[in-house]
Amino acid sequence: MGTALEIKDLYVEVDKKEILKGLSLKIEHGEMAAIMGPNGSGKSTLASVLAGKEGYDVISGSIEYLGNDLLQMSTEDRASEGVFLAFQYPVEIPGVATSTFVRTALNAQRRNRGEDELDAIEFLKLARQRAKELEMSEDFFQRAVNVGFSGGEKKRAEVFQMSMLSPTLAILDETDSGLDIDALKIVAEGVNKLRDNKLSGIVITHYQRLLDYIKPDTVHILADGKIIKTGDKSLALQLEEKGYQGIIEAN
Amino acid sequence: MKNLQHKYYESYNDNSHSFPGLDISWLKKLREKAIDQFKKDGFPDKSVEEWNTHSYNYLTDNYFKPFSDSKFDINSNLIEKRDSNCSIRVVFVNGKIINIEYDSLPEGVEVNSLTYFIKNKPDFLKDKISSSSEYSEERLSNIIDSRPQSIVAVNAAFHQEGAVINIKKNVKMPGYIELLHIGKYSKNTMQHMRSVVYLEEGSECEVLENIINDTENDMVFTSNVTDINVSKGASLSFHCFIKGSRNNIHINNIHGEIHKDSKFTSTSIINSIGQVRAENRINLLGENASTKIDMLLLGSKDALLEGLTNVKHVKKYCKSDQNTRIILNENSKASFQGKIRVNKKSDGTLANMSSKSLLLSNKARVNSKPELEILADDVKCSHGVTIGNLSLEQLFYLRSRGISEIEARKLLVSSFGNIIIDELNMNFINRARNIMLEYFND
Repeated sequence: MGTALEIKDLYVEVDKKEILKGLSLKIEHGEMAAIMGPNGSGKSTLASVLAGKEGYDVISGSIEYLGNDLLQMSTEDRASEGVFLAFQYPVEIPGVATSTFVRTALNAQRRNRGEDELDAIEFLKLARQRAKELEMSEDFFQRAVNVGFSGGEKKRAEVFQMSMLSPTLAILDETDSGLDIDALKIVAEGVNKLRDNKLSGIVITHYQRLLDYIKPDTVHILADGKIIKTGDKSLALQLEEKGYQGIIEAN
Repeated sequence: MKNLQHKYYESYNDNSHSFPGLDISWLKKLREKAIDQFKKDGFPDKSVEEWNTHSYNYLTDNYFKPFSDSKFDINSNLIEKRDSNCSIRVVFVNGKIINIEYDSLPEGVEVNSLTYFIKNKPDFLKDKISSSSEYSEERLSNIIDSRPQSIVAVNAAFHQEGAVINIKKNVKMPGYIELLHIGKYSKNTMQHMRSVVYLEEGSECEVLENIINDTENDMVFTSNVTDINVSKGASLSFHCFIKGSRNNIHINNIHGEIHKDSKFTSTSIINSIGQVRAENRINLLGENASTKIDMLLLGSKDALLEGLTNVKHVKKYCKSDQNTRIILNENSKASFQGKIRVNKKSDGTLANMSSKSLLLSNKARVNSKPELEILADDVKCSHGVTIGNLSLEQLFYLRSRGISEIEARKLLVSSFGNIIIDELNMNFINRARNIMLEYFND
């Protein structure tokens, strides 16, 4: 095993407002960690900081990813090193076909890692296989990235990208929001398939429901910018029963 | 300015013997009327509404000689091999025709130089070259304002060469015709080209006007005016790719008369670090006529680019669709002025206009002015204008997938331009993409 990600005492500000206040979290290789927390607790901020989004000022603390200082790496280098963020709100890019986008990304990562690029045929073969696994129609290859996609299609397209890029650390930021139960199952299966390949993951969610399908090894409660409680799957069930307030008050 | 107008007037009179077609009375009259109009109006200054965004100081402060001492010192690399889909190519260097290239001339297709037609078929040209005042602005106060067209007047007076295309009834031209204009002129000279494209009933043709001005050090003033007539049921694509250079003021005009049940499509792609203005004035003169006018302006360094459209719906049930995309870098500036005019009783009109601009530097500037003048009742018109920077959200999304910042920017900028380029058919799409690549590499 060994540690995939270690966040120590992280303080982060957005527009001079402190959002993360001493967050610490450790994720082992192959571990799936669920992060649950009330609105405004800092869940999406954590996801953005991990992916390297601008505008998030790290005041103090450290993030070590596979033994390297993640905060020193550019957004694109993090991706090449296996960090993948499935966006809560996937971004629309008119004029860029989904297949062009994913191929550009995949080959950029491969180049960055010193691997050979995939040619158009190899790429298409892989893309078809992955799309089939996610029960997605190939029509969307030629559609502009996320443009005119329904909420469910957008989330599914995120998981498709993830399966194409086969990351080491996946951060799923409320990937369940906006999904009906059938779509949720397909998305979860897509994630679970990757888990066989020693994927570590952070699943950010409001609801216990997703965790029925993506079974977490650990569950962490994030409140007011830090992890206040860590447990196993039963913590999520407890949360369902008592609500956040109950857990927060108990701590 | 008055002195300058007088100087051009004198220059016209001194040199009039050397302009082609002076022995043809209608053409002589057309030239004389034009120089008189210019003498009255002068170059348009900022008091002329269509010319009030940018200054054309160099034009109004300097005198350009009407003849270039054209030494053919053109870099032969500029004349690339004829494209495989191009059936006929007419090559002009410094305003003079040097070659008409084709494998076999399709039947019913006539392509030659203006001077050839003036000499051999002057009757064909009669009424096909529009007078300089024909496309004057009709103000809402019913005043006819010829001032916006004074460059066209200079062109009408001083033009010496151009291309003429005639497609006979029901002939469908295979491939496309390229009119290649390459210019490297001597200092402070001007060069005016006048072309005519005439499609007879039911015919079809695609034309690319490819203008490459290579005038690194010396200021030159060039214009191309094309009179287009698309007869009943005919279909013409007339695309215009312009590569301008520093110290080049180029004014491009397309005048289109589009008749019943006919179709006119035009895409102008301009990549310049100089001053380029492209005008498309299209009159939909018969029922069910339609037009699609697209423009892509790519500016960098100190470029000043202007796109102007004026689509007149004169008859019922006509359609027009306009899309402009402007991408500006460094100190470049651009403007888009688009007008849809729907005349009285032109009911059943469908007209759309969209202009979007992408500013890639803090100093780049763009002005967009859409205008709708709707005098009929049963009309569906829309217009939309946006001006913005690259979206940080989109950039982050691409980078979060491993695409470098430079590559992500390129992808986003090309996707913005692709909205125009992807509308072109296979004959032109790769050539257009190359212009985009050149823009990135410059």
